[in-house]
Amino acid sequence: MNVLIDTKAGEIGELASEAISDIIERATAGTSITAYAEGESPLSWNALEEGGWDLVGILDDGEGAQLRDIVAIAQVWGTRLIPLPYLETVIAKRHSEIARSWDGPVSFALPTSTLGPGKQRYVPFGQFAGLRVVTALGGDSGQLIEIPEGRPAGLDLCARGLEVDVILTDFSETAARELAVVYAASSVGAARRMLELGVTFAKERQQFGRPIGSFQAVKHHLADALIAVEEADTAVIRASRTTEGVRQTTEFVVKRCIDAAELVLQVHGALGFTWEMGLHYYLRHMLTAQEIVGGLRNCP
Amino acid sequence: MTTVNNDVCAGDADLSDFALRAEEWLQTAVPVEWRESRGALSGEESDAIRREWDLQLWRGGFAGIAFPKDFGGQGLGLAEDVIFHVLAAKAQAPDGFSRVGKTLVAPMVVRSGTDWQKERYLPPLLRGEELWCQGFSEPDAGSDLAGVRTRAVRDGDGYRITGRKTWTTFAQHADRIFVLAVTDPDAPRYKNLSMFLVDMRAPGVSINDIRQISGAIHFAETHFDGVFVAERDRVGNEGDGWKIAMELLGDERGGSEAAARYVEIRSDLDLLFRTCGDRPELANALQELDERTETLRWHLAKVIDLEGMGGEAFARAVSVLKVLWSELWQVVARVGFEAHVPADREHWRYQFFESKAVSIYSGTNEIQRNLISERVLGLPR
Repeated sequence: MNVLIDTKAGEIGELASEAISDIIERATAGTSITAYAEGESPLSWNALEEGGWDLVGILDDGEGAQLRDIVAIAQVWGTRLIPLPYLETVIAKRHSEIARSWDGPVSFALPTSTLGPGKQRYVPFGQFAGLRVVTALGGDSGQLIEIPEGRPAGLDLCARGLEVDVILTDFSETAARELAVVYAASSVGAARRMLELGVTFAKERQQFGRPIGSFQAVKHHLADALIAVEEADTAVIRASRTTEGVRQTTEFVVKRCIDAAELVLQVHGALGFTWEMGLHYYLRHMLTAQEIVGGLRNCP
Repeated sequence: MTTVNNDVCAGDADLSDFALRAEEWLQTAVPVEWRESRGALSGEESDAIRREWDLQLWRGGFAGIAFPKDFGGQGLGLAEDVIFHVLAAKAQAPDGFSRVGKTLVAPMVVRSGTDWQKERYLPPLLRGEELWCQGFSEPDAGSDLAGVRTRAVRDGDGYRITGRKTWTTFAQHADRIFVLAVTDPDAPRYKNLSMFLVDMRAPGVSINDIRQISGAIHFAETHFDGVFVAERDRVGNEGDGWKIAMELLGDERGGSEAAARYVEIRSDLDLLFRTCGDRPELANALQELDERTETLRWHLAKVIDLEGMGGEAFARAVSVLKVLWSELWQVVARVGFEAHVPADREHWRYQFFESKAVSIYSGTNEIQRNLISERVLGLPR
């Protein structure tokens, strides 16, 4: 039995995720996600592009970042959900030559599990100026087109999405699988961040003259949230290192992230239910990831 | 569904060599009558095989795998230990009686014992010649372990121990027991306890079997009636008992048990897939159990990878291990029972009852969640 599978990210993943972590922590220092989820991004696209971070996933003769490395990056990115089409561009440029030829950000038109079988597609960051949409990921075909007309997508607000019915992107088996893993990984990052916020809140919030985090009922919710996050983290690593049953695994990952998110919301009590608290932005990302992962399941 | 495969630790030559050596040894070492007709063996026959297994482990060079060489161990790491447990479970090797001594007593004696204790107790323990059991829980002190009442009263150059310990695994077979007892009833909580190494054959020690809900007898209650223990058999100073007990409980929740449990869970789940894999009403449940089971295997690998780096990520990963495998096994056992497969009826009845123990021993899962929230997440006590 293969107990000693290598679960660690490679050097590229380590370096890039640390660098991205520095960049986004600096950009968001002292601010809550509420400050930028629906407002101006605290980081410019140029800052990422100048560092070459949008090209980190490119494979050259099989050399370069493995999916496990991109998982490390996506997990870090998920902790802040800065409204930039970063992960989309990384995957687009990894799987499409024509996407690489464009200097700016690139996204794609995805099927999701709630859009139905017709021509409707979801374009993450479809509202982002300067974005191009690639029509094929994996393989040599495909073109880049400008953002079409569409309706703003209301669930993941950080993703500035657009629902369209005039374009669709063809995904190779590999591209679809990798995309599912990346959205699962960013959900793990979001869940980890929510847990962090929940722990901080439980230490500070006083009721009955003591921090609510000293009550066992609250402690056990947060312990269960950690168990869910750990299980999701391990499962997404597994999904990045195998090719069989991956989409089923990514569904499991996102489900466990949502489990953790629900517990953290409960720990925040009524405050967690307010728009201003901002926890819902992370949960919205996970729910959208669930729809995307579900939609990708029906790809070839 | 994923089945257990044989590609042991691809990539690391040393580990692969170790795994190969262990697998070869296990193939010939595991007694055929155990592997093939364990259920038909009498209690005495089964005990004899398990007792002999501890001696075989030593002769084969697989006793104390992760234990330092200076003290007679193999001087290898957690990775080798986990590999061996997985391979042994796969080879259906017997579970020896030396487990308590090797996983709990040996690290404790190395950490806190005197030179005399190391010399006297470690060699026969590793050779499988002296078996140990644990004297922690009492009828009125379970999760609240610091509330033990067993007394150790000064008497000449030693102590007299009086009290009752319960849930002593392997008490029927053990030569020695380590006992947490009150030495200073006036001292504050946590400062009043000391740890002793006691001879199970000393005058005044007696045991009663405890029959579990499954019908099996894995535990006993151990009585101490003025049992003499010499001062040189006290571990650490008077009053250090709680600290030593806490360090020891940290050893108990390690990766090796989780590894053996993974193999057991996988094998139960494979049985479910073979017998019920075509039942649509079970499809979702089986799929989720498969995800959780394989995630457990990867989680263990993650723990091993993170161990070397230590730090927060390791603490988080290892802290959830016991809850992960114990609650997973309980769901598998329940789904197995509720599937009502006539041919496997006895198996699932037994597994269902037996699995109830795993969320209780080694610190209940409620205590585990307290530890996770206080020690890992840093929530206030």
